[in-house]
Amino acid sequence: MVKAFKKYVLLTDTEQGDPERIKKIHDLFLAVLRVIGGDEEIQVVRTSDVGIYGRGVVAQILPDNIFYAGVQEEHVRQIIEEGIFQQKKLEAIAFEPKDKQLRIVLRNCGVIDPERIEDYIAQDGYFAIHKVLTQFTPEQVVNEMKISGLRGRGGGGFPTWMKWNIARGVTADQKYIICNGDEGDPGAYMDRSVLEGDPHSVIEGLMIGGYAMGATKGFLYIRAEYPLAVERVQKAIIQARERGLLGENIFGTGFNFDCEIRLGAGAFVCGEETALIASIEGRRGYPSPRPPYPAIKGLWGKPTVINNVETLANIPVIFLKGGAWFASIGTETAKGTKVFALTGKVKNSSLIEVPMGISLREIVFEVGGGILNNKKIKAIQTGGPSGGVIPEHYFDTPVDYDQLQKLGSIMGSGGMIVMDETDCIVDIAKFYLGFCVDESCGKCAPCRIGGTQLLHILTEISEGRGKIEDVEKLKRISFAMQKASLCGLGQTASNPVASSLKYFYEEYKAHILENRCPSGKCSRLFRYRVVEDKCKRCSLCQRNCPVNVISGDREKGFVIDAAKCVKCGKCFEVCKFGAIAR
Amino acid sequence: MGKAVINGIPVEFEPGMTILEVARKVQVRIPTLCKHPDLPPSAGCGICVVKVKGSNKMLRACCTPMEENMQIITHDPDIVQARRTVVELILSNHPNDCLTCGRNQNCELQTMIADFAIREEEFKKIVPNLPVDNTTGTVVLEPPKCIKCGRCVEVCQNMQDVWALSFLDRGVDTRISPAGDIKLGDSPCVRCGQCSAHCPTGAIFENDDTTLVWKALQDSEKYCVVQIAPAVRVAVGEGFGYEPGTNLTGKLYSLLRRLGFKAVFDTNFAADLTIMEEASEFVERFVNKKGPLPLITTCCPAWVDFMEKFDSDMIEHFSSAKSPQEMLSALAKTYYAQKIGVDPQKIFMVSIMPCTAKKYEIHRSKEMFTAGNQNTDVSITTRELIRMIRQAGVDFAELPDEGADSLLGDYTGAGVIFGATGGVMEAALRTAYYFVTKENLPKVEFEAVRGLKGVKETTVTIKGTDIRIAVAHGLGNVQSVINKVRAAKEKGEPLPYHFIEVMACPGGCVGGGGQPYGVTDEVRRARAKGVYADDESKTLRCSHENPYVQKLYQDFLGKPLGEKSHHLLHTKYQPQPEYRK
Amino acid sequence: MTSVLPGSAAVGEELVMAKITKEQLDGIKAQSVGDSGNWVRVGMSTCGIAAGADKTFEKLTAQMKERELEVRVERCGCAGKCFAEPLVEVAVEGMPVVIYGRVDENVAVEIVDKHILGKKLLNDHIYSVKAG
Repeated sequence: MVKAFKKYVLLTDTEQGDPERIKKIHDLFLAVLRVIGGDEEIQVVRTSDVGIYGRGVVAQILPDNIFYAGVQEEHVRQIIEEGIFQQKKLEAIAFEPKDKQLRIVLRNCGVIDPERIEDYIAQDGYFAIHKVLTQFTPEQVVNEMKISGLRGRGGGGFPTWMKWNIARGVTADQKYIICNGDEGDPGAYMDRSVLEGDPHSVIEGLMIGGYAMGATKGFLYIRAEYPLAVERVQKAIIQARERGLLGENIFGTGFNFDCEIRLGAGAFVCGEETALIASIEGRRGYPSPRPPYPAIKGLWGKPTVINNVETLANIPVIFLKGGAWFASIGTETAKGTKVFALTGKVKNSSLIEVPMGISLREIVFEVGGGILNNKKIKAIQTGGPSGGVIPEHYFDTPVDYDQLQKLGSIMGSGGMIVMDETDCIVDIAKFYLGFCVDESCGKCAPCRIGGTQLLHILTEISEGRGKIEDVEKLKRISFAMQKASLCGLGQTASNPVASSLKYFYEEYKAHILENRCPSGKCSRLFRYRVVEDKCKRCSLCQRNCPVNVISGDREKGFVIDAAKCVKCGKCFEVCKFGAIAR
Repeated sequence: MGKAVINGIPVEFEPGMTILEVARKVQVRIPTLCKHPDLPPSAGCGICVVKVKGSNKMLRACCTPMEENMQIITHDPDIVQARRTVVELILSNHPNDCLTCGRNQNCELQTMIADFAIREEEFKKIVPNLPVDNTTGTVVLEPPKCIKCGRCVEVCQNMQDVWALSFLDRGVDTRISPAGDIKLGDSPCVRCGQCSAHCPTGAIFENDDTTLVWKALQDSEKYCVVQIAPAVRVAVGEGFGYEPGTNLTGKLYSLLRRLGFKAVFDTNFAADLTIMEEASEFVERFVNKKGPLPLITTCCPAWVDFMEKFDSDMIEHFSSAKSPQEMLSALAKTYYAQKIGVDPQKIFMVSIMPCTAKKYEIHRSKEMFTAGNQNTDVSITTRELIRMIRQAGVDFAELPDEGADSLLGDYTGAGVIFGATGGVMEAALRTAYYFVTKENLPKVEFEAVRGLKGVKETTVTIKGTDIRIAVAHGLGNVQSVINKVRAAKEKGEPLPYHFIEVMACPGGCVGGGGQPYGVTDEVRRARAKGVYADDESKTLRCSHENPYVQKLYQDFLGKPLGEKSHHLLHTKYQPQPEYRK
Repeated sequence: MTSVLPGSAAVGEELVMAKITKEQLDGIKAQSVGDSGNWVRVGMSTCGIAAGADKTFEKLTAQMKERELEVRVERCGCAGKCFAEPLVEVAVEGMPVVIYGRVDENVAVEIVDKHILGKKLLNDHIYSVKAG
């Protein structure tokens, strides 16, 4: 029988510049241990990434859970002799890492088996609905929600208690509560992860909402592109029914509730409440004007509340720990946590949950590990295609609904895309706008035509045909779209254009006036050429050119035929001497 | 009554009224391209936006209900700027075909662009390249001109319950089309033309047959005759500045002679004849129990088409009497031709109808060819007639009144009310009463079947026997009536009705799909009023009193439901698939 | 089974007896093995599966069976470290609980060999440490 070590030293290079650095220190630890003894008792291990960044080499001593940062070769012996053998804390290099994340929504994701209801119950699952049914009147549920301050996590940020309360106040023979799982922002997968990782918490949230508003029927509207989420939610519903947690007379309280899944067919606009209702009813996914609000007249004309997946997953915890506890997290106007799908040019693309009020800088650098390949950061896009770009200058802004809106972006559903210096702002605006143009339902003219026109102008700019008057047109169309579009999709579709114009006007000007793309992204705006005095005539560019348009030889030098060049960038990439310019 | 303020002017409103409606009360017209008074708001165009104090958004006036103490601004630089940009965007997505478009000078988009004084197209022209669909031969779909206001879809699906038109694709590729991207002619379309009557632009348009008429008029070999339908006379004036409902029968007769028609007939005459046949049919079924009840009227070709597609189990209930248009055409090419000694093959019959479906009816079955060739050669709508009048260079308003040509031209009050919902029923009841009692009614008006209520039900007592009747107009109102009959038949319960009148268009033919644009309930009422006034002005107000109808039976037909009638004036129905292919 | 009016609590004896009680819920919770014993847990959400977590899961299951190890192989949802999928959390009594990332089938075997049998943490694969 092999025995476990008594102590572990976990070494992490939290800067990850030079891969040799950590190896050297690791080897040194091993060598020292061999010399002074203890290699039988202590294992020294290199980790890849433990969520600590910018602290040099970090050594974590287990099981004592003591951290040393900025560990240099000279510290190794001291850590072993004093820190481990003598159990002394080396104050000079000791530090306490702070976990910036706080998992409420994701509390069970990655912890429980989502296909076993017993696992959920073991984590106090369905205790909240029991508590609610036995100790709260519907009105008290609404009050508790009001105390919690929870606002909708789907993008709009409407107070959840208020929705419930409006629907509660309407008398009707039938009411509905719908879970909106039609997540569609590019790069966003928060809802999918919750539905796949902890489906019961969403169902329990739906039940509590149903009880509060007086609905006995719930629907989970999940996009068909999430087959695993659908499968797990379906299993969860069946298990909950088998246990009597869904159905009639739940916990003997007389409360009846059941729910079922409706599949969305992949239209982004169906995440909009009225279009979602139309879709469930079997109609074309068109938004309709409000009022009437769904909470008064929604699905099949009945009072209907629509809550987002993340919103619902918060709710059981609120009732287990209390609305006041929840309200103690976050900022004045935004309580609790927010889940973000942190992607783009960030080192560690991850699904994170952070308390409201954390700064964008902390998210990118302390949670996400900074920028990929140590490039310079340019901006963050929050709120998906409805959001805006936020330049680095504003990265210390605390994340909450109002602050982000002030910057011309929105909280949105939680997509967060990091851009570095190689990303072109016109290109980014084009990308998001292109998404909204594709996803426009076509019902209202401002969105349907305005988006297409904006996209056309941006394309002209990115291809060197832009005119300075186009900027005014961009602003004019954006204004009309914001003011005259029917639904949120159209009203916000121009946000990426408006915000990028606001913060990166110089970059637009460079495209228009100088036919230059500062990020080198817009391929129509540059030509590749060989810089004579840097060229070492290695011929690597010529050999790698896929279209054979680099002429010359190692004696005469090389020339790129600009007329035939397809601007793939291969020569630029392979040249070791920086002799290809663009 | 709520109180609010619009542009600083205090205003009162009823609960449920929209900002758009209430603004009218303080003389403010908020522009819109998609809202039509007939239809619920689609909120599509985005032009009617206004500011409401307390909201940083702009709200759509067409669908935002007024609230107590609302403070609304309908026009300020921001609002006008947003509206103007939207109008320009719509223009960028619309072809510049105005000069050759059927809606030139009568187009809501064109008017709006003129009003906004848009002199330059700043945005790139993005006009879809989509084919014109004229497979129905009645209404023509020209999708590139569509501004996606959604009126036609609303009309087709909800007002008419036909579901031929829908939106396909999405985003800038959104287009109107029958579901499944089939042609309109293969779709459930019943050619009622309400889509074309509601379209703000030239995207849906009646198939213009005026060139065929001109050609025939110029052909010396042809003996051109014409008939005008009841509802045309009270609407045609709208093209010349008259108020809706102004009865211009006399001017129309003289006009048509000026255009070159050798004989001018009136469909109202044939309406009287229809009553003779249909009332006889009803008496046969009701009194003599020969044939199933209820009897359902068949003057409306869109309804016939609808029934053959959706309610073909009701065929046995259908009156076999042809529509007045077809009766008149059949007689013109037989009875009239004989009387004046003209080769029927040379007679060219043009009908002027408030209706697009009539263009389809003229060849819908072999019974429409019983006089040798196609009985009605061309059917044109009121809108087409207005264009012909303008082309002919006739000063219509100054024309003298003339009479129709006799034999097929004189009508009673019962004939003219065919143009309004309930009119066929009322006319039939007047004569059925006579057939049963051999007495004329002391009071011929049946108020209960008049007006714009979607389904009108009443019971009429003839000689102590109750006749239960229903009148439905707007195809969307029909199914509830038919379903009641179906349910009663299935359960073997007493029939809910004995006699049912259906007209496909809301308001009946006065609101027909081929009538002048801009129809609203107000206009429908005014036109119906014109029709009823014509009725009241007549000494003879029952079809059986029409001396020329009597003469026709004496000289030619024999008796109602007789052999000749059967051959010339009656037709058959066949179930039709909702979708062809 | 009698039907109950929607949302009504006042139907009295018409009520169908509840199939679950608070006591049963407590019972299920008490029976849960939770985090005790030796186990590995594979992140099996779409993100993990896309990176090959299903193969890793199968490999681990097969290994435990083949080598007759009393180690539970469990599945769970997304632990959040998308950049390092597939993720496998490993708990062996007496050792720190760690999450390994980028665990393909080879690394899975390595985990069994070195971590579970050899009681040694693996180099260059740890992405999270739960103290203990």
